[in-house]
Amino acid sequence: MSGEYIEDSAVDVSHTHEEKSSAFQKLVIVFNKVKHRLPSRDYWKPLFWSLGSIILALLVSAIMMTVMGYDAIMAFDYLIRGALDQPDRVLQYATPLILTGLSVALAFRCGLFNIGPEGQLLIGSMAAAILGYVVALPFLVHPLVCIGVAALAGGLWGFLPGLLRAYRGAHEVVTTMMLSYVAINFTQYLAGGPLKEQGEYAWISQTTRILDTSELAKIFGPYLHWGFAVAIVCVIGIDFLLKRTVLGYEMKAVGLNEEAAEYAGINSKRSMALALGISGALAGIGGAGEILGTHHRFLDGWSGGLGWDGITVAVLGNNSPWGVLGAAIFFGALRAGGNRMHQFAHVPIEIVGLIQGLVVIFVAAPRIIDWLGRQTIDSASWIKREPREGLPGIAVLVFNLFGLFLGIGISASLFATNPILGVMFSMVGIVSGLVSYRILSRQETALSLSIIPAIAWVDAMVLDILIGEAMFFNMGMVMVIVGLILSVVLWMMQALTVQPDGGEV
Amino acid sequence: MQDIQTLVALTGWLLKATLMMSTPLVLAALGGLFSEKTGIVNIGLEGMMLIGAFSAVAATYFTDNPWLGVLAAVIAGGMLASIHAIVCVKYKGNQIVSGAGIILFAGGFTTLMLEVVWGVKGVSDSVTRLPNVVIEPISDIPILGVALGAQSPLVYIMLILVVVSWFVIYKTPFGLRIQAAGEDPSALDAAGVSVSSVRMIGVVLSGCLSGLGGAYLAISYASEFGKMMTVGRGFIALAALIFGNWTPFGCLIAGALFGFLDGLQFAISILPEFSFMLEYVNFIKMIPYVLVIVALAGIRKSVPPKAIGTPYEKEARG
Repeated sequence: MSGEYIEDSAVDVSHTHEEKSSAFQKLVIVFNKVKHRLPSRDYWKPLFWSLGSIILALLVSAIMMTVMGYDAIMAFDYLIRGALDQPDRVLQYATPLILTGLSVALAFRCGLFNIGPEGQLLIGSMAAAILGYVVALPFLVHPLVCIGVAALAGGLWGFLPGLLRAYRGAHEVVTTMMLSYVAINFTQYLAGGPLKEQGEYAWISQTTRILDTSELAKIFGPYLHWGFAVAIVCVIGIDFLLKRTVLGYEMKAVGLNEEAAEYAGINSKRSMALALGISGALAGIGGAGEILGTHHRFLDGWSGGLGWDGITVAVLGNNSPWGVLGAAIFFGALRAGGNRMHQFAHVPIEIVGLIQGLVVIFVAAPRIIDWLGRQTIDSASWIKREPREGLPGIAVLVFNLFGLFLGIGISASLFATNPILGVMFSMVGIVSGLVSYRILSRQETALSLSIIPAIAWVDAMVLDILIGEAMFFNMGMVMVIVGLILSVVLWMMQALTVQPDGGEV
Repeated sequence: MQDIQTLVALTGWLLKATLMMSTPLVLAALGGLFSEKTGIVNIGLEGMMLIGAFSAVAATYFTDNPWLGVLAAVIAGGMLASIHAIVCVKYKGNQIVSGAGIILFAGGFTTLMLEVVWGVKGVSDSVTRLPNVVIEPISDIPILGVALGAQSPLVYIMLILVVVSWFVIYKTPFGLRIQAAGEDPSALDAAGVSVSSVRMIGVVLSGCLSGLGGAYLAISYASEFGKMMTVGRGFIALAALIFGNWTPFGCLIAGALFGFLDGLQFAISILPEFSFMLEYVNFIKMIPYVLVIVALAGIRKSVPPKAIGTPYEKEARG
């Protein structure tokens, strides 16, 4: 009896002991569980690529702006503030982009490249604009009917290339693009011909204004309409379709490997045609939302390339529904902030298009971002391994990159008045750039190379005094002195460290 | 008698317009041909034309020599194409995405530079045009004289380039390499030729030719640069390339057909004889696109290069 009691109590004690100490352990277990649940490193890679592309694109566009003679820092300041100040504008711009982006993304998941969302969007918006003023329906029902019919019309515009691809092998990149132009011309004809609004504004190619019942109300602010909610519903819907339904599973299987999917008993033709059909419907909904919520009539050329931007959004969002949402909001912010930047920093709005193009080019080749990422990691480990060379390396790099910007910037501002001096300063910039490239490729001998940009600055100063107005004298002197000090100190350091090694060898 | 004279005059005029409008299309299509024959899809032709047009006008504006403008256009087109080549060949990126990026970039860049150089939003200042070449002996022949007697030098260059491209692609070792890079790159690799460099050259050539097409639009057909002045001609060139079944003479014929439709629109907008069609001009614009869809859907089997669109990995053997 007593033995049992002792045993029991022992068990009890150990049990309670475990429970008490496990407060921390539990936390560790929970943490491990969460960590286990979190997707692996590969899952985050696309996000890393997208963010890297954005940063790289912004950097390159900043350099280009500086070269063109704009104040890049002020421009980005207004861009960011403009985007943060007006969230309703950002989301309004993002709404059609979410839908056209989803359209491209869904097709892509099925291995198809739909580059014709522009046409699908226009056809859908035309359908919505016609239904908006031709039929009379009660509130709430009217916009929904318009959106539904727009989805059908856009869907048809996507389904046709889908069928052609599935059953005739006509490549969808070509057919969707060609159908886009057919749609552009067709809607232009309708808006300028049979459906043109007569009367006071007959000189504008536009249809009659839609009825009040079919308008989408505003959510908040003067711009954001309920089309945004529709877009969010579509994001959730497509996410559900891809993750939880047989149809979505089949589409993804066809996208990964068409032949294998066929062997597994999937009707790949049906999947492809349906994927492009749904893809077109999404773009059509995007067009309808803009007509019912923002423009209230079909105005010739209203879209301004929203469909093409959908490709950009899908690419940046890595073709996942939530990624598309994020990318669309980013581009919406870029556009809203771009307007502000144009207004106050007087930088042309086209810089936004330039940034978009650069983002897409960089996203197209994730290996560029990977290479840069590896380069950064290598540099970091270099600094850790050999701090005596690594840390000065950073200093030299910063000095030379600054010299690069300064040289190019000064040269850009001088080119109009004094081309010779402009060339001289751009040479200084290029020399600094070359030295920083040497440092980036971790050439230890490059450390003392700062003497070259320093000499280049001296030359430029002399030329500036001789034929210019010595405007940049102070700045140039600072650069010369810093460059000289850096190179001398580093040369001495290297000489001190290398000698004993050489003695040993 | 009167009717016949009008008819002859109109035919000559339409032929001339066809040649004029098809020149940029054929040049860009030839560009696309060089890229796609090596196995790299290039939907960025539009962007390369645009940057060529801009560079041509800018260089002519600063130097007052249109031939330097042409040179600048070729170089600028080649440079933009080399970005595409680096992304697609060296970093093995997605070719269609990169092409779309090229178009966006070129659109933004040229409009931006329009504002930087001339300080305007829509259209640049006028510059010197390329002088027309007058061929005396044939200028008196009724129809041919009107069509070919006095044209832009780039029109004749285009016709010559078609023949040269045909010769280069089908009759020279380099052309065989281009074809091999697009049909079976691993065979080319096995023969000891670098697939990457052949593809790089192909893509850069495509940029040069598209830039030339853009230069024609900017300083020969027009005499200024306008925002987005190519208005989809790069895409039509792509259509001509497909419709012409990836051959130089196919490109010429398809380009001429689409150029004729373009010229017809021009005729409709200025000649009273055609004005009854003014209302349906949008439908005439649609014809090239519809034709390509119909062609792809089944009238004729078009045969793209086999390895098109796939980056070449040395390790991956099929």
